[in-house]
Amino acid sequence: MAQKDFINALEKKGVPTDTIDIVKEKYTNQTDLVKASVPELVDIGLDKETAEDLLTKLGKKEKVTRAPAKAKTASRRKAEKKQPEPTVPLVYENPDKSKKYSAFEEQLFKKCEELKLNLPRRVILNIAHRLEGNDISKENLVKILKVANQKYQDHLMDPNESAGILAAQSIGEPGTQMTMRTFHYAGVAEINVTLGLPRLIEIVDARRIPSTPMMTLYVNKELSGDIDTVKNIASNIEITTVLDLADIETDLHNMRLFIVPDLRKCLQKGLLDQDGNPVRGQSRPIELIKEKVSRLRGIVVVEDVARESLPPKVELAGEAGIGYLCLEPKEPSFKSLQKALDLVKAAKVKGVEGITRALLKKKDDQWVIFTEGSNLREVLKIDGLDHTRAYTNSIQEVNEVLGVEAARRSIIDEASHTLDEQGLSVDIRHIMLVADLMTADGDVKAIGRHGISGRKSSVLARAAFEITAAHLLTAAMTGEEDHLDGVAENIIVGQPVTLGTGAVNLVYAPKKGASE
Amino acid sequence: MMSGVSKRIGSIKFTCLSPDEIRKMSAIKIITADTYNDDGFPIDQGLMDTHLGVIEPGLMCKTCGHKVDECPGHFGNIDLAMPVIHVGYVKEIKKLLQATCKSCGRLVLTEDDVKEYQARLDTMEELGSDAIDLREFAKETAKAAAEKATKEVCPHCGVEQLKITLDKPTTFREDGHKLTPKEVRERLERIPDNDLIPLGIDPNACRPEWMVLTALPVPPVTVRPSITLESGDRSEDDLTHKLVDVLRINQRLRENRDAGAPQLIVEDLWELLQYHVTTYYDNQTSGIPPARHRSGRPLKTLVQRLKGKEGRFRSNLSGKRVNFSARTVVSPDPWLSINQVGVPTFAARELTVPVMVTKDNLEILRNMVKRGPEPAGVVYAPGVNYIIRVDGRRIRVTEKNAETVAEGLEIGYKVERHLMDGDVVLFNRQPSLHRMSMMAHLVKVMPGKTFRLNLCVCPPYNADFDGDEMNLHVLQSEEARAEAHILMKVQEHILSPRFGGPIIGAIHDHITGVFQLTYKNPRFDKAQTLFIVSKMGENKLPEPIIENGREYWTGKDLFSTILPKDFNAQFKSHICMKCQKCEKDGCQYDAWVKIRDGKVLMGTIDDNAIGSGGGKILDKIARDYGADRAREFLDDVTRLAIGAIMVSGFSTGIDDEDIPEEAKRQIDDKIHNTFQEVDQLVASYRDGTLDQMPGRSLEETLEVEAMKKLGEARDEAGRIAGKHLGISNSAVQMAKSGARGSMLNLSQMAGCIGQQAVRGERLSRGYWNRTLPHFKQGDLGAQAKGFVKNSYKSGLTPTEFFFHSMGGREGLVDTAVRTSRSGYMQRRLINALEDLKLKQDGTVRNTADSIIQFHYGEDGIDPTRSVQGEAIDLDDVLRDVLGEHYADLLSRADERKISLYATVEKDLMEATTDEDDEQEETEYDGGGDE
Repeated sequence: MAQKDFINALEKKGVPTDTIDIVKEKYTNQTDLVKASVPELVDIGLDKETAEDLLTKLGKKEKVTRAPAKAKTASRRKAEKKQPEPTVPLVYENPDKSKKYSAFEEQLFKKCEELKLNLPRRVILNIAHRLEGNDISKENLVKILKVANQKYQDHLMDPNESAGILAAQSIGEPGTQMTMRTFHYAGVAEINVTLGLPRLIEIVDARRIPSTPMMTLYVNKELSGDIDTVKNIASNIEITTVLDLADIETDLHNMRLFIVPDLRKCLQKGLLDQDGNPVRGQSRPIELIKEKVSRLRGIVVVEDVARESLPPKVELAGEAGIGYLCLEPKEPSFKSLQKALDLVKAAKVKGVEGITRALLKKKDDQWVIFTEGSNLREVLKIDGLDHTRAYTNSIQEVNEVLGVEAARRSIIDEASHTLDEQGLSVDIRHIMLVADLMTADGDVKAIGRHGISGRKSSVLARAAFEITAAHLLTAAMTGEEDHLDGVAENIIVGQPVTLGTGAVNLVYAPKKGASE
Repeated sequence: MMSGVSKRIGSIKFTCLSPDEIRKMSAIKIITADTYNDDGFPIDQGLMDTHLGVIEPGLMCKTCGHKVDECPGHFGNIDLAMPVIHVGYVKEIKKLLQATCKSCGRLVLTEDDVKEYQARLDTMEELGSDAIDLREFAKETAKAAAEKATKEVCPHCGVEQLKITLDKPTTFREDGHKLTPKEVRERLERIPDNDLIPLGIDPNACRPEWMVLTALPVPPVTVRPSITLESGDRSEDDLTHKLVDVLRINQRLRENRDAGAPQLIVEDLWELLQYHVTTYYDNQTSGIPPARHRSGRPLKTLVQRLKGKEGRFRSNLSGKRVNFSARTVVSPDPWLSINQVGVPTFAARELTVPVMVTKDNLEILRNMVKRGPEPAGVVYAPGVNYIIRVDGRRIRVTEKNAETVAEGLEIGYKVERHLMDGDVVLFNRQPSLHRMSMMAHLVKVMPGKTFRLNLCVCPPYNADFDGDEMNLHVLQSEEARAEAHILMKVQEHILSPRFGGPIIGAIHDHITGVFQLTYKNPRFDKAQTLFIVSKMGENKLPEPIIENGREYWTGKDLFSTILPKDFNAQFKSHICMKCQKCEKDGCQYDAWVKIRDGKVLMGTIDDNAIGSGGGKILDKIARDYGADRAREFLDDVTRLAIGAIMVSGFSTGIDDEDIPEEAKRQIDDKIHNTFQEVDQLVASYRDGTLDQMPGRSLEETLEVEAMKKLGEARDEAGRIAGKHLGISNSAVQMAKSGARGSMLNLSQMAGCIGQQAVRGERLSRGYWNRTLPHFKQGDLGAQAKGFVKNSYKSGLTPTEFFFHSMGGREGLVDTAVRTSRSGYMQRRLINALEDLKLKQDGTVRNTADSIIQFHYGEDGIDPTRSVQGEAIDLDDVLRDVLGEHYADLLSRADERKISLYATVEKDLMEATTDEDDEQEETEYDGGGDE
């Protein structure tokens, strides 16, 4: 496959066929070939001129043309040399996340190395876990490792196994046994979460936004026992609009809006304590609202309103010391009044965009914040939260904020959690393979026509999946070639597939006349 | 004759047909729109011309001289009077017109721009971008050029560019003026080859002017055969109909143009020709009405033939019809081994296996041939349907010629003999969701009309016997048979690759049987013992216990006889009560299984030991002793179980759910109390004293509280009922041993069915503010919102019955939606992952040879061979090496359980909510419809 592409690329660049025949013996890709020097190429049977010619065609100008046009290239090279200026080296230290091994574990690792056993780390750690603290003789230790290694080798997958189909079937088959409804999140009855088949489809589809985005946030360890602090943080995360805190009265006669904070609502949102006093560190609700509302466009805050013109409810609030706020649209018209009303209603007082609800739940002595809606990037900026444990079920968000490796992990976690929750056991390796395929080229690709299946190298395989005609037509236009390396295309032309026993080309030719 | 190494197609190149090529490959130019003359013979230069191949027996192809079935057919061509646009390329043509200069045909980009794009293209190619990336990039280039064209003049000739628009489907306009296909073609001709490459077009494969058709290839008649109806009328294929239209209009257009008809008429005809050619390619082009048959059915033209599930690709190329297959109803036969299949004699005489005649089998085969296609005799003996001579001629063996054919049999002939015992065949049930849906079985020819299979293979096929049909395929080549034997036999699939446990195992009565055999270790006297053991094959009786001078055998001893002699295991039974602290060896419920050296020392053998979907003993035998030993064990254990269950007999009926009056009264009281509690809740909701839950509305709070109360009531009712159902009850035995049903099912039958739910909420829809007119408006009480207080046994009231059906209906709809959705998901998954394979170096790669995983599953372990997801069974290793010391280590490890990444088995019973059992209910009901 790669070889064919390589040859094609060379042909396209106008390299003569006889040269290609010689070159392809040694090199299998362009990168290696370009790196090669002229003498190296001469060594494999090219004469000097063709070699130079070849390299020029491959775009390796500097080195080859050095001799004839020295002056020109020299100046160019000077310019080039200047570019990579010795800037201050970026010092970035990876946080040391690697686990510290205990002495016993180290000993086991060493033993394995000595015995040249290729056991995975996890197996060795498990053995260590079991044996640590027990008096095990040296011989027995070696024996255990050897037996373990024997078993490990026995359990390895055979080469040419169709690992992909195995994974696809293992994930797809239990799909018929899954439920379709949304469920209440285990632990927090108040939050609805999509689970079961719809969630699994969502994951493999790599949707931008899950149908029920959700976050689980932990508070810094030292704060986690303190309900008030946690409550405070939660209320800073949850989006709070003016309407969530106050009632809005419209005075059509004077074309005014009055905002009257509702004490009960404020209490619920954690702005006031039981006695109606502002929670420490917070200003009064009315001040908060004023600060945000005054920034809105097209609205003016009116101070000193004549008492007579106040609606009765507002007047009461004023007397009770709760305070009120009077607003006027800049343009006195009913239309702009209505506009102003809508604007004020939805005005965000505090909180993080996208998070509609934040709930607290105690989880082994710790208060944990569960949110409806997700915004990882903003939440990570909030103090007091344990950022290392912040979790969202939005895979795209993880990809954007933390990168593709984290997204891969997120796919694995979400998919296996979805399957687990339904009581279906699926080996983690299958899920890992799907996640690895989805994230293989640096961002999250969907399983389906817009993702993986649409970018297959074979025209026939793509045509057989979906949008048949379009694929055939463009293939003809761009002169695509199908090398028949995959499964679908070989089935279409009626040949053995390239997996499993079909991948091996071993033919036994009996000696003529030997048996007769 | 196929022999030795066959050739392989290396690759397939896709290109466009140029008009020259179309004419060159054409066997004849088609000019007449007529097909047959009055005598029923094809008209020369008509659409059915015999130069294009033949479809009628007796006629000879004028191009190749072959007859029907030998001549593959040949293309013809139609010369179009005026060029027309190819619908499939409309978008490309638009892109090209917009990106190139109207006068000089060059790309509207400066040389430097082009160079830059070319350089980027080269880097992309070098970095191994696939065809799709390059195509995307080409689109970008075209866009850039098109944008430039709207703002600037052509950098090559300085001509100002006009705006090109497309009137769907095929009309191009330049600043509002129509561009005829002829003008379009002229412009496309002007584009130089070098300017096409950055636009993603390979000039060697496709010149843009070819996208405007001047000649139309006519497919061979073999592609569009006409059919003769009973009445003697001919019915033409859709494609022929369409071609007739094209030819007719083409003819008229040519005549009108040559006669110098008014421009208007010519243009109208030209457009009509465009329409016919468009629909000839794609009859579902948006923007134009589809061409219809006289009956009003839209024609199936080229694109429709290829597209979709019934199209050529998915229906005829990716899946093909086969010979040597059979399909019939399946029925059970416990005396077959798991890897056998009972084939009715009737089918066995039709299905044949080709056998090469050698000097060693000549006489045997000769005897078979002598028997003919329908050998007489009570005992089945394979006969022969056909023999194939060395020259490839196929001779049918009949009763009459059997003797003579048999005499003429020579070495090198092939004999197609009937199926016989021991032949390997593939057995399959749709939907084929995983590889265990198609396994190899050994044939056992039997009387009757159904395929017979062992009950243990029901779970992998997901088969039952309510009318299920299955398919059987007979392998035709030695290679196929070898692969089937080694890779596909049933015993090779006992362990599922999905979770690394057994998927083939004992079910239903097998489990009840071993449960009765081993629970509390009953004793059997000699007669009973022999009865049980006689069901298995040869077996040695264990040492009896002698008491009062009589011989007894215990159930556990009997079970131990079928275990491998050095078998060791320990695990919890399905009957385990899940005590706070497991007493292990001191378990009072006989739920801790301990097997040492092939002897069951304690514990009850049940679902957790031998069941399908995770039987521990089965798992261990299959992994450590091999597939064949596992098959033997499974055959033995099922027969032993059947023997055991037949000692006392086993049945369940409605009286198994009988509970005493006292218990019924208790349940009634409990439910009555709960109703009152719910009423109180409703009252407090109405007067506003209900405590609102954070983040929930008052209504939601009420619902949650009520649901909780009612759920508790149901559980309590079940608990009361369960108290009176002892282990001697056969329904309880089934539930506890994991054979069938659950305690929850039982409590619904004996106690109370509980709350019905739709979308996880109490029923609420129907009439205004009430579910049924039997209740008051706004009634939020338990019964008005779908609580069923009766049990299945006591019978439901009419309203309850209605509510129960509502819950049941939701389940049915759910199942229907789910199957289609999960089917599509699986298709996509398979399509995306089908090419991935594990290479020799341990990496997983796709066809482009790019690495998907560096180390399969991070440890290279085959999930099939894994120990519930773990690489190795550490317990085994430790015991192997350390022996007795091991018990101490094990207990320690249990306390410090390491959290696993892979799935942990979940206790379903505990997790079941009332929504879930609704589910189960409907699944059972739905089973009969299949």
